[in-house]
Amino acid sequence: MTTITTENPVPGTREGLESGVLEAAANKRRKRTYLALLIPGILGLLVSFVFPLLYMVRMSFNEGAPDGVVIDTFTFQTYIKPLTDPYYWRVTLDTFRMGLTVGVLCLVVSYPIALFLVRSTSKYKGLLLAIAIAPLLTSAVVRTYGWMVILGTNGLVNTSLESMGLIGSPLKLTNNMTGVTIGLVEIFMPYAILAMISGFGRLSPQLEEAAGSLGASKFKVFMRVTLPLSLPGVFTAFLLVFVMAISTFITPRLLGGGSVQVLATEIYDQTTGLLNWPFAAALSVILLVLFGTIIAIYQRIVQKIGG
Amino acid sequence: MTESKLSIVDLTKKYAAGLAPAVDRLNMEVEEGHLVALLGPSGCGKTTTLRMVAGLMDPTAGSIMVDGREITQEPVNKRGMGMVFQSYALFPHMNVEQNVAFGLQMRQVPKAEQKARVAEALDMVQLGHLGKRATKALSGGQQQRIALARALVVEPTLLLLDEPLSNLDAKLRDTMRTEIRSIQQRTRATTLFVTHDQDEALDMADRIAVMNGGLIEQFGSPIDVYERPRTHFVANFIGQANFLTITVGEDVGPASAAGERNYKIEVPGLGHFGAVGASGLTGRSLPVLIRPHRLRASLQPSASVQELKGTVEQVSYTGDTLSIAVRVGDEVLQSQLHTTSGSLPHTGDTAFLSWDPEHAYILPEHAKAVAA
Amino acid sequence: MKKSIKGKIAAAVTVSAMALALASCSGPGNAAGGDSPTSGEVSLIAYSGVWQDQYNAAVIEPFKAKYPDIKITYSSKRSSAEMLSALQGQKGKPSTDVAIMDNSVSTSGNKQGLFEKIDAAGVPNLANVADEFQNKEGFGPVVMLDAIGLVYDTATFPTPPESWNVLWDPAYAGKINVNAPPSLLGLSLTAITSKMEGEDYTKSIDKAVARLQELAPAVQTFAPNPDEYQSIITGQTVLGLGQNARGQFYSDQSNKKMGVTFPKEGTVYQINTINLVKDAPHSAAAKTFIDYALSAEAQAAFAEKLFYAPSVTNAKLPDDVKNRVVPTDGSLNIVPLDVDFLSSARDKWTDTWKRQIIK
Ligand SMILES: Nc1ncnc2c1ncn2[C@@H]1O[C@H](COP(=O)(O)OP(=O)(O)OP(=O)(O)O)[C@@H](O)[C@H]1O
Ligand SMILES: [Mg+2]
Repeated sequence: MTTITTENPVPGTREGLESGVLEAAANKRRKRTYLALLIPGILGLLVSFVFPLLYMVRMSFNEGAPDGVVIDTFTFQTYIKPLTDPYYWRVTLDTFRMGLTVGVLCLVVSYPIALFLVRSTSKYKGLLLAIAIAPLLTSAVVRTYGWMVILGTNGLVNTSLESMGLIGSPLKLTNNMTGVTIGLVEIFMPYAILAMISGFGRLSPQLEEAAGSLGASKFKVFMRVTLPLSLPGVFTAFLLVFVMAISTFITPRLLGGGSVQVLATEIYDQTTGLLNWPFAAALSVILLVLFGTIIAIYQRIVQKIGG
Repeated sequence: MTESKLSIVDLTKKYAAGLAPAVDRLNMEVEEGHLVALLGPSGCGKTTTLRMVAGLMDPTAGSIMVDGREITQEPVNKRGMGMVFQSYALFPHMNVEQNVAFGLQMRQVPKAEQKARVAEALDMVQLGHLGKRATKALSGGQQQRIALARALVVEPTLLLLDEPLSNLDAKLRDTMRTEIRSIQQRTRATTLFVTHDQDEALDMADRIAVMNGGLIEQFGSPIDVYERPRTHFVANFIGQANFLTITVGEDVGPASAAGERNYKIEVPGLGHFGAVGASGLTGRSLPVLIRPHRLRASLQPSASVQELKGTVEQVSYTGDTLSIAVRVGDEVLQSQLHTTSGSLPHTGDTAFLSWDPEHAYILPEHAKAVAA
Repeated sequence: MKKSIKGKIAAAVTVSAMALALASCSGPGNAAGGDSPTSGEVSLIAYSGVWQDQYNAAVIEPFKAKYPDIKITYSSKRSSAEMLSALQGQKGKPSTDVAIMDNSVSTSGNKQGLFEKIDAAGVPNLANVADEFQNKEGFGPVVMLDAIGLVYDTATFPTPPESWNVLWDPAYAGKINVNAPPSLLGLSLTAITSKMEGEDYTKSIDKAVARLQELAPAVQTFAPNPDEYQSIITGQTVLGLGQNARGQFYSDQSNKKMGVTFPKEGTVYQINTINLVKDAPHSAAAKTFIDYALSAEAQAAFAEKLFYAPSVTNAKLPDDVKNRVVPTDGSLNIVPLDVDFLSSARDKWTDTWKRQIIK
């Protein structure tokens, strides 16, 4: 050991030793600073996410009796009903389908806007972007009520269609999945737009020009260059909207008129209406596990595609 | 002369009403197989011109013709040109082969032929072994070459390069300069090459279009623009230049270059000298151009030649060359000499400047001229 | 229950959650104030919205005027279930003193040991509560009564519909609102329909389900927004289920655009009890409040404001009010929905509606 030290000139010298020690100490201090900086976040996560989650998981193994009575026990009873009852399969499937539909529609309507905002060279670009995401400044509840007014039997859409003579009796646009989908698509649009804009980093007018100069028509340029390069943004936006859609409660509740049953409304009914906490917890765990898995698979696929 | 490959007639681009045009009634004829450098200072309209030729930008006025056919209104994808961008613009989601094959796919070239031509193009730029590489895993020089291969593989009617070398380091730039030139000469692709580097232009181009303020000040061969600049700007922009305002004296006969005459000239108050210039300049007051390395300076007066007497203001010694700034009256003239082992002049020394008459060129105009 | 999406969002949530935690920590701490029949602080948990506004005006304000040293803090909930849930959360160390909630829910609360018994010694006005509205075991008595009614658009129905069967009239298809169970409205409609079909709903509701399945496609919404009354007033629907008391109130508010009626086949009571929370921190002051709530004066005042029928025998109502509150003299055909039965049926019927009726 000593020979090695003497052979190595730098640590052998007093200076070398000191600077080495100092550097190690500095490293340690830096690490400690990072850790210290993380503490509030970790604590926060523990308090706001991890503990409630653990509590919820534990609750799901209790037994629920009528009128909010929780029987402390350890049973899988609460899981048997949702896993064996076709009704909950249907609800889960509807939830999934709603997430998918809302995700896809939201992308379809947001994509051109995001693309326009990214490529615009207008001096009003900032303003346009602000307008596009301004709805975030109002709550989803308010906007949902707005849609109820617009889509209702006597709403803007129906009355204008009727006055134009296009329909005889009002279309049913609210209190069903149609209304919920329309509402959710609009509510999530700003998120989708933001996610896409941030994911459009690889787009560049020059690449499109290069494709054009190589003989690609506008359509081909879009299909071969713009679209593939925008996919990362599209994938992120879809995931974001999908996750928000399957977990959202307010809009399905308000615009669904009690006819739209998804996991979130089901959980709400179980908690606030029937006070069956263990069952609600079990449903939540199922939502978490099922959609967590779906999301993980999705991410895998997206990575494979190379988005 | 054969018909031009590319003719540009009165091409004009105004970006916005009220703004001075970025390109102002530009005219140019490019011969088949030539490499033409668009050379000029930043903002003179080089990129704008190139983009209009490529079809990436609509001209405000004027027309562009290729092989005698008007293409001004043709969309970019129908023009069949190959363009290499300053930042290469390789498609990041495709590998090297896919990038090169893109233009062929757009032309619906059969698969097998595509493969062969891509391989050929990659071999031409010596990157045949990188076909499967992702473009982001390439060095700047390699990306450059792929971009070139991608543009050339479609056998473009015109090859357009916008400062293709400006993102490379100095050494690689030299290598690529030679390489692009040799590929261009092999493929005989008529090429427009934007640069603001005069060395690049002089080295590579068959013709140089010196641009200034949206128009071409001079269009000619490298020797032409260097030796016979039409304007003060051209003379100054290409190489170093000394100017003296002189009065042209009598025409003393034909010079060696066709159509040029030898003149006596008078540097007001300082004496009479010799210079060459276009015919019919006698009596006019014009600038005369003498390149520094053709301006002799000596510390001893010579008995045989007419000389300008001045004072050494600055001496700069770089081993190979010795540059001396000499004040003559109101002017400061630069002289560049090959160094000898003799002693160096000092600031304040008296120096005697002289030149061979054929090395002093009288510029035809004070004002800007339009290339024809 | 929602998934945390991104670190940033989680962080934001964290911060707000911590703020909330801090805020709630300071909540129960100040419950230790003095307690006597005439001073202290009574924490009341009861309904929100218009109910809260009117109860404030009719009962709480006059009470405060009478007992200036008793402070009332009102914690409002949208449903009795939510109140129960809050009380369950406080069990052992409650911060609430008094709860006014649905009879069926309070009965469950009594069983769960959430409430204290009260007697005429602490609450003299308990003696004025009609016998049938006393709690047999001595827990909190009925404080007010209401019943499920048929709410309708007066322009469509110049005279009130007489039968629940109007709901099935194809003329009003798509213009009907029914709050699905677990709402009491939906539970009541189930029982009423079952009875109309000649069924004993305590044994089976098969026939009712079949009939309700016919109704379902005609229902515009099973969760009217903002509520069942506005749904009619704003013209989204013309017919639906609502409660008489609020119906009467909104009828006035809307200038009689909406009306409420009891169809001949009978209806279900909605009964609220007033309850003293077990181990209430301000038990003495709370009893004073309960006593006032059962006073003839408070009962009449609230009936005039929101048309709930008094549970005490000595409350005097003006005729125009008397005619509009739910009759408690046996003149109304009542479909009995026993609280114990309801407690077990609620889950089942809710399941049935979701699986077989709404679709
Ligand atoms: N999009 C535009 N809008 C307005 N003016 C522009 C625009 N693009 C270029 N210009 C102006 O037009 C003139 C010519 O620009 P151009 O890009 O052609 O110059 P350049 O010769 O390529 O310069 P550089 O060597 O710096 O690339 C400049 O004055 C420039 O400011
Ligand atoms: Mg440029």
